[in-house]
Amino acid sequence: MTVWHLDPEAIRRYAQGIAPPGLAASAEAHLMKCVTCRDAIASHVDTRRVEAIWHEVVDRVDAPRPSWPERMLARLGVGEATARLVAATPTLRGPWLLGIAGVLALSVWAAQVDERLLRMLLVAAPLGPLAGVAFAFAGGLDPTREIGLAAPYSGLRLLLIRTAAVLAVTVPIVAAAGLALPGSHWLAAAWLLPTAGLTCAALVLTARMTPVVAVGVVATAWVLVTTPTAMAGHLDVAFGVGAQIFWLAVAVGGGLWLAVTRNTVTIKLGRSG
Amino acid sequence: MTVRVRGATKSFGRTTALDSVDLDAGQGVTGLLGPNGAGKTTLLRIIATVLAPDRGTVRLLGRDPSRPDDRTRIRERLGYLPQDAGFHRGFTVFEFVDYVAILKQMTDRRARHDEVRRVIGLTGLASVSAKRIRALSGGMRRRVGLAQALLGDPELLVLDEPTVGLDPEQRLRFREMISHAGEGRTVVLSSHQTEDIAALCTRIAVFHQGRVRFTGTPNELTAQAAGRVWAGTQRSAAALAAWRTGDGVYRNVGDPPAGAELIPPTLEDAYLLLMGEPDLEVTHS
Ligand SMILES: Nc1ncnc2c1ncn2[C@@H]1O[C@H](COP(=O)(O)OP(=O)(O)O)[C@@H](O)[C@H]1O
Ligand SMILES: [Mg+2]
Ligand SMILES: [Zn+2]
Repeated sequence: MTVWHLDPEAIRRYAQGIAPPGLAASAEAHLMKCVTCRDAIASHVDTRRVEAIWHEVVDRVDAPRPSWPERMLARLGVGEATARLVAATPTLRGPWLLGIAGVLALSVWAAQVDERLLRMLLVAAPLGPLAGVAFAFAGGLDPTREIGLAAPYSGLRLLLIRTAAVLAVTVPIVAAAGLALPGSHWLAAAWLLPTAGLTCAALVLTARMTPVVAVGVVATAWVLVTTPTAMAGHLDVAFGVGAQIFWLAVAVGGGLWLAVTRNTVTIKLGRSG
Repeated sequence: MTVRVRGATKSFGRTTALDSVDLDAGQGVTGLLGPNGAGKTTLLRIIATVLAPDRGTVRLLGRDPSRPDDRTRIRERLGYLPQDAGFHRGFTVFEFVDYVAILKQMTDRRARHDEVRRVIGLTGLASVSAKRIRALSGGMRRRVGLAQALLGDPELLVLDEPTVGLDPEQRLRFREMISHAGEGRTVVLSSHQTEDIAALCTRIAVFHQGRVRFTGTPNELTAQAAGRVWAGTQRSAAALAAWRTGDGVYRNVGDPPAGAELIPPTLEDAYLLLMGEPDLEVTHS
């Protein structure tokens, strides 16, 4: 039992839910331990509200504090449920990201040795984020895939949440690698729209195939088309203004299609989902 | 019937995992019994809406899981513990169960947390609620798997080998929890352990090589072996299977020779006999 008690004014403001956060927090801490003040509060408000408050207090204390990535997302305005879903994305784990960063560092180093490798880096740049999206749903990497498949949560929503999360993390890593490249700086950004377009194309394909296969199809097509021209030195074919407009159109078109069909399309998250 | 499967066939490449399987399951605990590779997991994945059969029809909770709308409705009333249930090992028990609750579309945070606490209490995990899953023993992790399956008090509970890897005491606890869950609900579970099935199930389907070889009650299965188990001082040549029991007497299962000393059969005897006779198919309805 504590010796001090909340003053009547604090109790009134807390009971009516108009206490400033600092006061509310210390009042809550005190109420946890003090029956007298809990009773005092009860006389101020109807019991339903007391129960609701008490419930909230218990929940705050009982439910573990979210991990730091979830708290960070919450600060950015992401809902707590969505933040949990993002935190469970397997390809957002440290080892995976370190892998991507490592490969890129190696390529940057190689690109300084041989100029052709610089072009190959541009070809390879979209593959990092794409792979992150694909493997966010691969059975081997997502240990709870089966449980997720049997849950009613919308497959498309989950796909979009994880895709957005993966892009938000991997694109800056790849971009940093691009900036470390010698040569013109517009090149460092030339893969961004292709990545957006390729991702949207893959997402649209998930109505027909699993994310892993969809990304595989899109990535293969990309590599086959861009490698020969990039190696031949015609970077403008794959990365010029025309190509950029094309990828922008693909991204916008794919996004629109997903938006329009979001309630009717069944995303294939599983092999036979 | 909560679960009604007719003629379900599923192949993986050249392997026929399920070959024209029928299964009915209503309130109570229905057990799929069979050796490894018999097709139990494949059927349970179909019942959990994770997999679609190549051929055959499935009705769950009166709905058709091949239709997207129905499938979502089914999933709202389904709990599923997969065979190799994995976890996000960095999550705490509470966070993980809460994560599945989000996937089960419990949107109101407080109501969801209450439900998470409820299932954590039911499975005896309250004291480790704040522990990371990677710090838990295998038996405890299995409980976490059961806890997430119980979220939302589902009408249909699908449990794939729920007692595998548990020590005898944990196994008993689990049986208790599952039989409790079976009251007023439909539970379909699999096991390759006859004791689990005998202790828990109101109905049994015995699987072998993708086919259902027996359906009926545990007593009906045991009755199959009546007159086919005998005691002797040595292994009988006529026995399909025989083993020495603790008191030094041989227990022979098969077609007894004349004058054999018959003894009451167990479920295990009947199961052994069934596995030893590939052409036999028995259905009790
Ligand atoms: N995803 C899969 N890919 C390939 N083969 C599979 C797959 N799932 C099951 N099988 C095969 O189907 C058969 C039945 O397996 P399963 O349903 O897991 O049996 P049980 O659960 O009774 O042990 C086995 O031969 C297994 O190898
Ligand atoms: Mg199995
Ligand atoms: Zn007080």
